[in-house]
Amino acid sequence: MKKGVTVGVVAIFLIIVFLMLGPLWVLQEGEQAVLLQFGRIVASHQEAGLKLKTPVIDRVVKVPKKILSWDGAAQRIPTEENQFIWVDTTARWRISDPELFYESVTSIDQAASRLDDIIDSEVRKIISRNPLTEAVRNSDAINQIERRNVFATAGADSEIDDSVIVDTFTQITYPAIRTGRTMLSDEVLIEARRLIVDQFGIELIDVVIRQIKYSDDLTESVYNRMIADRQQIAQAFRSDGEGQKADWLGRRSRELNVILSEARRQAEEIKGDADAQAANIYAEAYNRDPEFYEFWKAVEAYRMLMPKFRKTLTTDAEFFKYLYNQEGGSGG
Amino acid sequence: MAERDVTQARMAGNFSPRAVGVVIGVVVLFAIIVSSVFVVDQRETAVVLRFGRFLRNANEGLHFKLPFGIDRNINVETEQIKKLEFGYRTERAGVQTVFSAQDFPEESVMLTGDLNIVDVEWSIQYRIVNPRDYLFNVLDQEKTLRDISQSVINQLVGDRAILDVIGTERENIEFIGQERMNEIFGSYGLGISVTALKLQNIVPPKGAVQNAFEDVNKAIQDRSRFIEEGKEAFNQAIPRARGQALQIIQEAEGYREERINRAFGDTARFRDVHAEYQRNPEVTRSRLYFEMFEDVFVNADGTDLIDRNLDNFIPLKNLVPTFQGATQ
Repeated sequence: MKKGVTVGVVAIFLIIVFLMLGPLWVLQEGEQAVLLQFGRIVASHQEAGLKLKTPVIDRVVKVPKKILSWDGAAQRIPTEENQFIWVDTTARWRISDPELFYESVTSIDQAASRLDDIIDSEVRKIISRNPLTEAVRNSDAINQIERRNVFATAGADSEIDDSVIVDTFTQITYPAIRTGRTMLSDEVLIEARRLIVDQFGIELIDVVIRQIKYSDDLTESVYNRMIADRQQIAQAFRSDGEGQKADWLGRRSRELNVILSEARRQAEEIKGDADAQAANIYAEAYNRDPEFYEFWKAVEAYRMLMPKFRKTLTTDAEFFKYLYNQEGGSGG
Repeated sequence: MAERDVTQARMAGNFSPRAVGVVIGVVVLFAIIVSSVFVVDQRETAVVLRFGRFLRNANEGLHFKLPFGIDRNINVETEQIKKLEFGYRTERAGVQTVFSAQDFPEESVMLTGDLNIVDVEWSIQYRIVNPRDYLFNVLDQEKTLRDISQSVINQLVGDRAILDVIGTERENIEFIGQERMNEIFGSYGLGISVTALKLQNIVPPKGAVQNAFEDVNKAIQDRSRFIEEGKEAFNQAIPRARGQALQIIQEAEGYREERINRAFGDTARFRDVHAEYQRNPEVTRSRLYFEMFEDVFVNADGTDLIDRNLDNFIPLKNLVPTFQGATQ
């Protein structure tokens, strides 16, 4: 009985010692490992789980199986037209062959530094042999956007009606691009992959341009250009306003002339018509008996005008025919 | 018996192997219990690994697992919407959210398709939809999220003119951006889903450039003002002129009425007299004549009367007007 207990205790002790030497090890999800025997790679593991190794002799080196980020420093690069821009690229990669990776670069920092060399120089090469727009734009989508107005910025408190649109500015066509940003970064990716292939045990997944900015000295001149551009549009608005005002003023004097001259013409026509009608009325009345009219008009005229003359009469006047003769015979 | 032994041993200050065994047994049992249960919160999903290898997901509640680190659980907040901010930072969220006064131009300054500079601030909201992928496929998840989000927004802004970005294309960028980010994150197996992409402030660079942009808004106002002024001048003069025109025409109409009425009036007397005359021509004629004579001479004093037949009687009539006569 006692002997049995002793054997048991010794066995447990031995098992514990054995386990402490570490023949068993765990490879977690997202990791991969190479097994080194006296510094020589004997195996590699990519599947997670419980693994065995020879205690003491074997060493396990774990590296991530996950996708890793590479973040290069922003580079100041001249474009084809020699404008300096800052290009900030980032890439994703993973360790595809842990054995080769351990052999050639060993650590992630080392690998990142290799990637620095390769990607930075490819980015520089490709950006500098393309014009700026190729790196900025990705497609010709800019020409497919329908613009109702290209003046007011959002948040302008004025509602802008259609009449504001000055045709010249509504549709601007930008020159078409040949490649575009995605294709440029894909070019970088292809070139970089070609340089990396079978060397470091790593796989480059993508290269993307994270940000493009103008260099500081260029920024200043771009600001000035933007300001000049806005000013020119502001001018166009003001001058359009002034022009429309002048138009209204012109319309005003034209309307004034038209209205008043038209009225005067109508007035003259009415007056002419009045005179004609009056003449007609007179003629119609007087034509009934022109001889009597003559007599009547004469009598009327004498009545009106005679009192103003100094008068000396002769008895020849018919008035006096009874003066010497009651028969009314002639004065002779 | 045994109990008694233990008691004695304790009291003696010595541990019998049996007592040690019991204590170890209790401790081990306790360790087994503690390390074989785990709790998952309502907001979380747990990923259970056996010897580092993925075994299963566990939802909220109390769960069992194999003890001693054979099974391991990693809890991931899958129900929580997480937020990343670009170009600005929320310092303290709350009823009155405080934003950091600092700008982050290294994130927000970008080039537009018409080669202008614009400052874009935005945020993304995302949720972890596949905790296993999220944990094990990508190393630095948040950095990847930031990098790709920035790259996508830069690219979309680079495909549009500055005023499109500031104005009408905003929603489009949000929509396409979210789609494209999800596409890229999907290709990495990142295990997340971008639930919202919100563009915040989009403004031209601060300072003189922004002023120039605002000046265009002012110019639009000025333009309206000029037009109003022109219309005002027009409206000031034209309705009055229309009235004046009516006045001129009315006056002419008045003249016409007057002229015709006078003509009728004038001829009416003639008609009446003529009618009388036709009935009694001789008498009327004479009457008119003598009445006229009467009227003319009724008030004329001192009219000379000369009989032509009296050859030898010539009155000394002074034919030259006297001073008095001239003044009369």
